Amino acid sequence: MDPATLIPAPDALPVHWSWFYLLLLVTFFLHIVLMNIMLGTAFIATATHLWNTGGDSPVCESAAKGLPYSIALTVNFGVAPLLFVQVLFGHLVYTSSILMAVYWLWIIGILIAAYYLAYIYKYRYHCLVGGRFLLTGAITLLLLLIGFFFTNNFTLMLNPAQWSRYFDNPGGFILNTGDPTLLPRYLHFMTSAVAVGGLSLAVWFSWKQKKGSHEASHMITRGCQWFAGATLINAGFGAWFLGSIPHGMLSASGSVTWFTILLMISILFICFAVIFALREQVYPAVISALPAIFFMILVRDQLRSAYLHPWFSPSDLPVHPQYSPLFLFLAVLLGGLVLVGWMLKLVLTAETKGVQS
Amino acid sequence: MNYPVWQLEAAGGGLLIALIAVFHVYIAHFAVGGGLFLVLTELKALRENNGSMMEFVRRHARFFVLVTMVAGGITGVGIWFTIALLNPAATSVLIHTFVFGWAIEWVFFLIEIVALFIYASTFDKLPPRQHLLIGWIYFGAAWLSLFMINGIIGFMLTPGQWLENGNFWSGFFNPTFWPSLCFRTFFSILIAGLFGLVTATWSRNPAIRIQLTRYSALWLLIPFTLFLMSGFWYKGVLPAELQQTIFERMPATAQFVQGFIFFSPVLLAGCLLLAIRMPGILSRPLALTLLVAGLLYMGCFEYIREGGRRPFIIYDYMYSNGILTKDAPKVSTEGLLKHARWSKYSTITPDNQLAAGKEVFTLLCSSCHSVDGPTLDIRALSRNYTPASLDNMIRGMHHVYPSMPPFIGTDEERKALAWYLAYGLNGRMDRVAAPNIAEKTTEPHVFNPDQDEYVLLAWSSDGMHTFADALPYWSFRQPGNTVRAQLVRRGETPEVVENATILYQVESSFQIPGAYTVFWDAALQKFKWTYPVHQGYTGPESYGEMIGQAGLYLTTDIRVVPYPDQNTFDPYPLLTLEAENQAGDLLATTTVPLPVSTEMGCNSCHGGQWRVADRAGFMQSTALNILSIHDKLSNTQLVEQAAQGKPVICQDCHAEEHTYRSQMNLSASMHGFHAVFLSHEGTDACAACHPSSSTGATQMLRGIHNVIGLECTNCHGNLAEHALDLLKQEENNGLSQATEYSRRIVVEFGEIADITPRSPWSNQPDCLHCHVEFAAPETDSTLHEYTEDMDSLYRNRTDESGALYCAACHGSPHALYPASNDYGTVLHNLVPLQYQDEPLPMGSNFGCAVCHTTEMEDEMHHPNILGEFRNL
Repeated sequence: MDPATLIPAPDALPVHWSWFYLLLLVTFFLHIVLMNIMLGTAFIATATHLWNTGGDSPVCESAAKGLPYSIALTVNFGVAPLLFVQVLFGHLVYTSSILMAVYWLWIIGILIAAYYLAYIYKYRYHCLVGGRFLLTGAITLLLLLIGFFFTNNFTLMLNPAQWSRYFDNPGGFILNTGDPTLLPRYLHFMTSAVAVGGLSLAVWFSWKQKKGSHEASHMITRGCQWFAGATLINAGFGAWFLGSIPHGMLSASGSVTWFTILLMISILFICFAVIFALREQVYPAVISALPAIFFMILVRDQLRSAYLHPWFSPSDLPVHPQYSPLFLFLAVLLGGLVLVGWMLKLVLTAETKGVQS
Repeated sequence: MNYPVWQLEAAGGGLLIALIAVFHVYIAHFAVGGGLFLVLTELKALRENNGSMMEFVRRHARFFVLVTMVAGGITGVGIWFTIALLNPAATSVLIHTFVFGWAIEWVFFLIEIVALFIYASTFDKLPPRQHLLIGWIYFGAAWLSLFMINGIIGFMLTPGQWLENGNFWSGFFNPTFWPSLCFRTFFSILIAGLFGLVTATWSRNPAIRIQLTRYSALWLLIPFTLFLMSGFWYKGVLPAELQQTIFERMPATAQFVQGFIFFSPVLLAGCLLLAIRMPGILSRPLALTLLVAGLLYMGCFEYIREGGRRPFIIYDYMYSNGILTKDAPKVSTEGLLKHARWSKYSTITPDNQLAAGKEVFTLLCSSCHSVDGPTLDIRALSRNYTPASLDNMIRGMHHVYPSMPPFIGTDEERKALAWYLAYGLNGRMDRVAAPNIAEKTTEPHVFNPDQDEYVLLAWSSDGMHTFADALPYWSFRQPGNTVRAQLVRRGETPEVVENATILYQVESSFQIPGAYTVFWDAALQKFKWTYPVHQGYTGPESYGEMIGQAGLYLTTDIRVVPYPDQNTFDPYPLLTLEAENQAGDLLATTTVPLPVSTEMGCNSCHGGQWRVADRAGFMQSTALNILSIHDKLSNTQLVEQAAQGKPVICQDCHAEEHTYRSQMNLSASMHGFHAVFLSHEGTDACAACHPSSSTGATQMLRGIHNVIGLECTNCHGNLAEHALDLLKQEENNGLSQATEYSRRIVVEFGEIADITPRSPWSNQPDCLHCHVEFAAPETDSTLHEYTEDMDSLYRNRTDESGALYCAACHGSPHALYPASNDYGTVLHNLVPLQYQDEPLPMGSNFGCAVCHTTEMEDEMHHPNILGEFRNL
C-alpha cells in the first residue's frame, strides 16, 4: 500500500503558515523548558530520596512546593504548541494519535494521577518519610510514561510507512517501537529534562541564597552537578540518536546543511553551559542552556522536515486569509503577559517585604 | 473518510466523550462561577470582619484549586485529545477555523492559572485589596475563557452565516452566542453555589456552617429565574427547524428535556431544605446529592444540545461521521469505500461483503453507535431486522429519526452494511427460498346442465385478506372473512332467487379457530365497539345460515383462521354452501375458498419469526416491538397499556371516519409511515405487509391479472403514490402528521404528479378505469383514479340488470377467474369449474347456457360480454 494514499487531506490556514511555525517554535520551547523543570525536579527528588532513604532535603522540599506549579504551567504551555502543531501538522498527528489512541488517551489519566500525587507530596511533605521516595518515584514514572507516549506519537506522525499497521490493529494499540530513533530520542529528551531540572534547582537556590539562605550554596552545587552530569550522559544519547537517523534521509531532503549548522551551534552553547555549571556560575549557565535548547528545537524541526520531505511541507497548505483574529490574539497575548508579569511582580514584592519584615 | 477510525467496539459511540465532557463541563463552569463565589465571599468576610468566614474562603479556595486546576484543567485537555481521536475531521475544522480563538483562550487559561495560584496562596501575604483584585482577575479570565469556548461550541450547533462566508467572526458570534453565554454564566453561578454547599456543610463550626449553607443556597436561588429566562431565550433563538427537531421530532432527547425539567425544582427544593438548620450528618449527604443532581442537570442540558445537533457534528456542514454535507451526494454516487482513505476494501464483492459491511459501519456509524456498549448499541438496535429489511430501514431512517444522517454510499455498500448488522452481528437471514407449498386438492361439485335447475354462485368479498394475530397486545382486523352468494334459477329468463335459505359451513378442521389463536380469549372482552368497515370482532360461528336481502346472501366475518392445527398454515379454508327452498329441499351446493392469512411480514423489521410453520403468524415479541416503536415515535404508552391486559386496537385512535379521531386513519398512517422505507421496492413493498407475493406462503394475488403478469402497483401505484393519495385526504382533514409524512415521501422520491385525495376502503381503483366500456384495456395501469364511494366498489357493484353482482361471475377481488397460485387452480375456480368445466368467468366464451336455457344474443349483463375470453 502506498503510504501517500493514507495521508489525510489537510485543512486550509487562516494566515500564512510561517506565523504558526513561529508560534509553534516559541511556545514549544517554553513548554519543553517547563516540562524539563517539572520532570527533572521530580526525578532529582526521587533520586535524592533514594540516596537518603526518604530523609528531608531542601532540594526535595523545593521540588515538593514547586511540582504542582510546574505541572500546571507545563500543561498550560503544552496547550499552545499542541494547538499550533495541529494547525500545521494536524492531519498527520491526528492520524498517529488514533493509531495509538489507547496510550494517547491514557496520558490524561496518568497526568491527573501525577498531578494529585504532586499535591499530596506538597501538602503532606512533612508527614511523609518512607513514602516520599515511593511518591516521587510514582510521579516520576508517570511523567516518564507520558513522555514515552509523546515521543511515540510525534515519531509515528512522521512515518506514514508505518501507518498501514492500523489495518491489523485498529483498536489504538500501536506504538512506534520499531523506529530505531525512538529509544535514543526518548532518552535524549528525558535526560535533558534531568539536566535542566538540576539547573532549575541551582537557579532556585541562587535566588534563595540572595535571600540569605545558608544551605543554598550546597544545593546550588548539587543542581549544577546534576546539570553537568546529565548533560554529559546526554551527549552519548545524542550521539546514539544521531546515529539512528535513517541513512541519507537528511541529505535527500536537503536539510543536512541547516541541520548540521544548528546542531553545532546548539552543542557549542551546551559546552558553554556545562563549563559554567561546573564552575557553579548559574546564570551564565542558564543563559547558555536556553539557546542550546532553542537551537536543539530548531534541529528537531529540521529533522521533522527531513522525515516529512517525501510527503508534506507546511508551505503546501492552502491559505484562506483572515488576519483580524491573529491581531486580536497578539493583542490579548501582549496584554495577558503584562497582566501575568504584574501579578508576579505583586506577589514577589509582597514576599520580599514579608522576608524583610 | 479522511482519517482512520479508532475502533472501540463496546466503548464506542461517543461514550468516552460523553463521560469526559459532562465531567469537565461541570467543573469548568464551577471554575467560572466559583471564582465569583470566592471573591464575593471574601469581600463579605472582610466587610463583616468575620474571621471564620475568611477561613472558609481560604479552605474553599484550596478545594477550588484541587478541583478546577487538576480535574478541571486536565480533563479540558482530555476533551481535546478525545475529540481529535473520535472525530479528527471536525476537530481539524474547529482548530483551523478558530485557531486564534483557541489561542486567545489559552492566554486566558494562563492568566487563570497564575491568578488562582497567587490567590490561593497569598491570603496572608497580600493586602486584602490586592488579594481581592487578584481574585477578580481570576474570575475575569475564567469568564473570558467561557466567552471564547462558548463561541466555538455554539458554532457547532448554529454556525449561522459562517456556512456562507466562512468568516471567523460570523462563526464565533453565531446566532446562539449571546443567549448561550448568559445561560452558561448563570449556570456557572448555580454550580458555584452547589460546590459552596458542599464545603459549607463540612464546616466544623455549627454557626458558620448554617450561615454559609444559607449563603451558598442563595447562589442557586437568586439567579435561578435569570437562568431559566436565558434558557428560554436560548431556545427561542434556535432556528425553527432545530427547535422542532430537538423538542418535537427527536425521541432520544425527550427524556433529557424531561430530566432537565425534573431537576430544576429538585435543585431548588434541595437548597431550601438545606437552609433549614440541620446536623452535618444530614446536610453533608444532602449537599453531595445536590452536587450530583447538578451534574445530571448539566448532563441533561449538554445532551439536549449535543443530541439536537445530530446528525451533524457541525450543523448543516459536517455529519457526525466526519463527512461534509457537500460531499455526501458525490460519495453516494461514487462509493464510500472508494473515497475512504482508511478502508481495507475499495469495492464490495461476494467474498468480502461481511467484512466490507463492517468497514462501512466503522466509517459511517461507529462515531455514534457502539457494538455491545452502553451507547446506542448497534447490535441491539439492528436485532429485529433481516438484512433486506434493515437495508430498507437504513435507506429511509433519516426521515423518521432526525438524529440519523442519510446513508452516504452506494446501494451495494448499504446492502453490505445491512448484511453485516443483521446477519454478521445478529445472525438474521432473509427468507431466500419460497415455501414449499403443496397443492390443496379439491373437486368442484358436479353440475348437470340438463337436470339442475339452480346455479349457486358464491365468493369471498375480501379476496386479499389478512389479520394480525398479534393479540393479546394489539389488533386491527378481525380473524374472519365475509362470504356472499347469489342463487340463480335457470331458465329462458333466469331469476335471482330471493327467498331461499343458504347454509354455510367452514371446512371441518377449521371449525375451532379459538384453539390456535388467543384472539377469542379473555383479552377480547376489552374490545369496546365495532368499526364501519369491519363489523364486529367476534363474527358468526363457523356454520350457520346466511342472511338474504334482495337476492344477495351474506355472512360477515365468519370466524376463521388459517390454522387447521397448531403447526399448519392453510390460508384457503373451504366453505361449503347449500341452498334450500322453503320446504327444505336442497336446490344447489357449491364450495368456495374463504381466504384468510396471517402472513404479514412485520417480523422482518420488528423482530421475532413466523409463529406457525415458519410461514405466518405473529410472535408476541414482534407484536410488542411494534407497540414499543409506536411509543417511542409517537410518545404513547401502548406497551404499558397492553401489559395491563388492555389490548390496543389501532382503530381506537386511527379510525376510518375522521370525525371520530384526531389521528390519521390506519391506512394513511401505515402506508404513509412505511413509504419512505419500502417504496423503492415496488411490488415487493406491498408483499412486505400483505400476503400478495407470488413466492410467499399465501399468494393471495392470484387472479387473472396476476396470471398475465400484472402486479399490485399496476392498480394501486407504488407505495409512495399510494400513500400520498391517502395522506392528501388526511391533510385535507387538517391532520398535520399527514403533512409531515407527505413531506418525507416527497423529499425521498420527489414530487409526484396527480395526487388525488382518497379515503381507504371506499376510493379504490376500478376495473372500468382500464376496461373502458368493458372493452380490452389500452393501458395496463390505473393511478390516482378511484371509485367514488363504497357502493361503486367492484365487490358491491352489479351488472346492468342490477340483479347480478360482478363478483358472482368474476370471483373475489384479487382472485378474478381464472385464478391460480401454488395452492392450485381448481381451488380458486371451484364455482366456474363446477358450472362450466373451465375456470373462466361465468358465461365466458358464449357460455350463457349455464343460466340461460336459450341462446343469447343480447349483451344484457354488460357490453362486450359476448365474445371469446381474451387471456388464454
